[in-house]
Amino acid sequence: MRDVLPDLMDAAAGRSDYADVRHVRSSAETVSTRNGRVELVRQWQEEGFGVRVRIGGAWGFAAARGNEKAAAEDALARAIAVAEAQPRIDDGVVALAPEEAASGTYSTPVEIDPFSVSLEDKLALLTEADAAMRGDPRIALTGAHFDAYRDDKVFCSTEGAYCEQRIVECGGGLAATATSDSETQVRSYPGAHREQVSQAGYEHFAGLRLAEEAPRVAEEAVALLTAPPCPAEVTTIVLNGEQVALQVHESVGHAVELDRVLGREASYAGTSFVSASDLGSLQYGSPAMNVTADATVAEGLGTFGWDDEGVAAHAVPIVREGVLRGFLSSRETAAEIGLERSGGCMRGEGFSRQPIIRMTNVNLEPGDAGSLEDLIADTDHGIYMATNRSWSIDSRRLQFQFATEAAWEIRDGRLGRLLRNPSYAGVTPQFWASLDAVCDRSAWRLWGVLNCGKGEPGQSMHVSHGAAPARFRNVQVGVA
Amino acid sequence: MTEALDLAERALEAAPPGDGALATVTAERSLLLRYARSRPTQATAIDDLTVDIAVLRDGHVGGASTNETDPESLAACGRAAAAAAEAAARSGGTGDYPGFPPPLKITARDGYDAATALIDPVPGGAALGTAFDVAGRLGLEAHGIWTVGDVETALVSSSGVSASESVTDAFMKVICIAPSGRSGYAAQTAGAVSELDPQELAERAAGKAAVSREPLRLEPGEYPVVLEPHAVSELLSMLGNYAFNGLAYAEDRSAISGKLGQRVAAAGINLADSPHFPRQIQRSFDAEGVPKEPLPLIQDGVAHRVAHDTRSGAKVGAVSTGHAIAPGGSPYGAVPTNLVLTGGGARDVAELAGPVERGIYVTRLWYVNPVRPKEMLLTGVTRDGTFLIENGEVTLPIEDMRFTDSALGVLDRTEALTSTPVLTSDGEFYGRRYAHGVVCPALRASAMRFTG
Repeated sequence: MRDVLPDLMDAAAGRSDYADVRHVRSSAETVSTRNGRVELVRQWQEEGFGVRVRIGGAWGFAAARGNEKAAAEDALARAIAVAEAQPRIDDGVVALAPEEAASGTYSTPVEIDPFSVSLEDKLALLTEADAAMRGDPRIALTGAHFDAYRDDKVFCSTEGAYCEQRIVECGGGLAATATSDSETQVRSYPGAHREQVSQAGYEHFAGLRLAEEAPRVAEEAVALLTAPPCPAEVTTIVLNGEQVALQVHESVGHAVELDRVLGREASYAGTSFVSASDLGSLQYGSPAMNVTADATVAEGLGTFGWDDEGVAAHAVPIVREGVLRGFLSSRETAAEIGLERSGGCMRGEGFSRQPIIRMTNVNLEPGDAGSLEDLIADTDHGIYMATNRSWSIDSRRLQFQFATEAAWEIRDGRLGRLLRNPSYAGVTPQFWASLDAVCDRSAWRLWGVLNCGKGEPGQSMHVSHGAAPARFRNVQVGVA
Repeated sequence: MTEALDLAERALEAAPPGDGALATVTAERSLLLRYARSRPTQATAIDDLTVDIAVLRDGHVGGASTNETDPESLAACGRAAAAAAEAAARSGGTGDYPGFPPPLKITARDGYDAATALIDPVPGGAALGTAFDVAGRLGLEAHGIWTVGDVETALVSSSGVSASESVTDAFMKVICIAPSGRSGYAAQTAGAVSELDPQELAERAAGKAAVSREPLRLEPGEYPVVLEPHAVSELLSMLGNYAFNGLAYAEDRSAISGKLGQRVAAAGINLADSPHFPRQIQRSFDAEGVPKEPLPLIQDGVAHRVAHDTRSGAKVGAVSTGHAIAPGGSPYGAVPTNLVLTGGGARDVAELAGPVERGIYVTRLWYVNPVRPKEMLLTGVTRDGTFLIENGEVTLPIEDMRFTDSALGVLDRTEALTSTPVLTSDGEFYGRRYAHGVVCPALRASAMRFTG
């Protein structure tokens, strides 16, 4: 792309205030089983240019497939045309926050290229795991999954940036569904919604040991059919790391996206209960709450060398000891509220979607509550909830309701009966204010989210959240 | 022959011979203008296509796709699809896919508008300007999108199917927000850009936001409701995805499993998938080349049929109803994408509200997800225009509320519907653009459960 992109940006410089271009070649592979049979074996590949221009404060973005210079030039022409066709707003155009021109390369550290492993080897692991969930007649549906993704990206801008990146992601998972006349219950491993994916090679998938976990998953699904229901009460809850990750995603990550805070996502994703003036003063949660957006964490789905407008990856404190300290931002929005530098959160799906503010790895920092066993032992009475099943939150990211696949009573520091259909609800700042313990780094890990939807046209982004099991007091449970 | 159909034929030729193959080309040209706080924010113009090749081996379908069209790329895509199917066959024994469907008569539908296909940004810019003006006159800010698309789908298979169609669509959404944070919503979906009425949309959205009173907060509980068409369509879409999905039905995961022929909704509920209904986005064939025909789902409150693709149909001894969303069957099953709920006798929403002593008027529902799909128990929140109904009149604004209720339960408690269903959609375009919507009226239900 050295022979195409810089020349294109030279041409764009004279016709716009700012422009950048990404050439992205994306590959993906998915393999899955269902009820012991091979269900899906499929590969994807696409490549093209995404050109973004800024003219008088209005952005235009156009995408064209391929890798030829003519396609890039066509995309530039269309991006300029749509930017120029929009109503002109003359009440002040904010300059982009300054950033050193990106230069260099970044690649995911990979031991085994997931695309080099044969389909038969992947299917052998999946069919073994699928079979290990079957046998009990109450198991109605089993499935095991493998996914791999690779993006080769080149970024170039009118400010002289030029960088190349290769991002590789890989993972998998399994789930068992048990049914009776009145109940349908699901258990999943290692997490909900099909799988756990990391920015890593095939070694991550192989290390999941799906077949070893499969019998327990099926047994728990069956046990849930006859488990007593989660009671409706106000009580203490301990969430497993994955559910904490989703809680962070929905009630912190989205709420501190600066485009939402500034009202720019009201059309679709919504706004935020947080305002720009809350920086440094909003009591977001308890002193045990420390959240960081860190695009440099090993194996994170939000890890990269540079974001999609050329800002070098770095860590941004979001909440420190319960107080709001930062936002997820872009060069434009950072400048708009007077920040010195973008948070480096602009990411676009593939070549045909323009970068928008997305989460990177938004992590709840580990605490000092030891292991999960230590935290349970320290809890007299409550409910331990594991593995997300359902989620919903309002358009300001305030009032939420989540359900998990399974829960267990906590009595006198020990796990007791399994409970079915657990759920809890709350209001974001009150809920985080009730956080009184987070497990330590030994229980902390990254959890991937593959289906973070935002933007128009829609974009699904891969993000991660570091989290450990955590305890919240006085929470309403049994709401659904 | 169109370019897309020619390309699909070349892709099919690139697939190694075996038990069958199917090639699909989906070519998209689209433009989407976003705006927020009465200024343009993002504009996305897409010119792209996808070539999908599906290959059948011993009952297994393997797939591969590319957006490159040169002979080498098509051949590589064909080899990848064949390798996928062969690996599945070697690993899993004989598969359960019965084979790509034979050619059936496909009736061409007129879902194409040449003016929309120009993908001209100029009317979009003017539409944004109109929204800004209307909102500004009332001290409001306008947010939303304006978008047009032209998507051609061409499909050929070794079983003899050869079909293509071009479908245009246009969509505009206006959300007006007052300085108090009060918001109002209006949206319109159409097959032609000339049908969009930015002025009417902006005025309707502004009317809901420009309310001077502070919103009331209602306690959770059961309330009678009047749901505007956009709120109704959200519930119906969930029903289509989870309950009338043939694969979920075949696997006993559907709320309809075991209930065909039984009453599942009020007697006034008649729901069908009707791809040729005049106000619908017109579709003539599905992802396997099976003709799309009307499919009654609920008749007079009784569950009647579910949507099948070839695979889900084979599981229950039925044939495809033309609802495949992927060749060989999607893991998500078969989904009705052209739902139509028949209207009732009420003149308008005011007449629906008439008998309600104290209830809730809902413009739209947001972030709706299933809690327990087999019960069709859903949760979500109201958004952009929620009002109190008192003594038959829509009166004060109220704060948004969370509902947790069964979609079938709401339909079972439905007492009345407006007479003129309208085409609704969210204008969501993840992946390759596939315009779809729900044609439905507003309705009144005797109760809906609000939990927060």
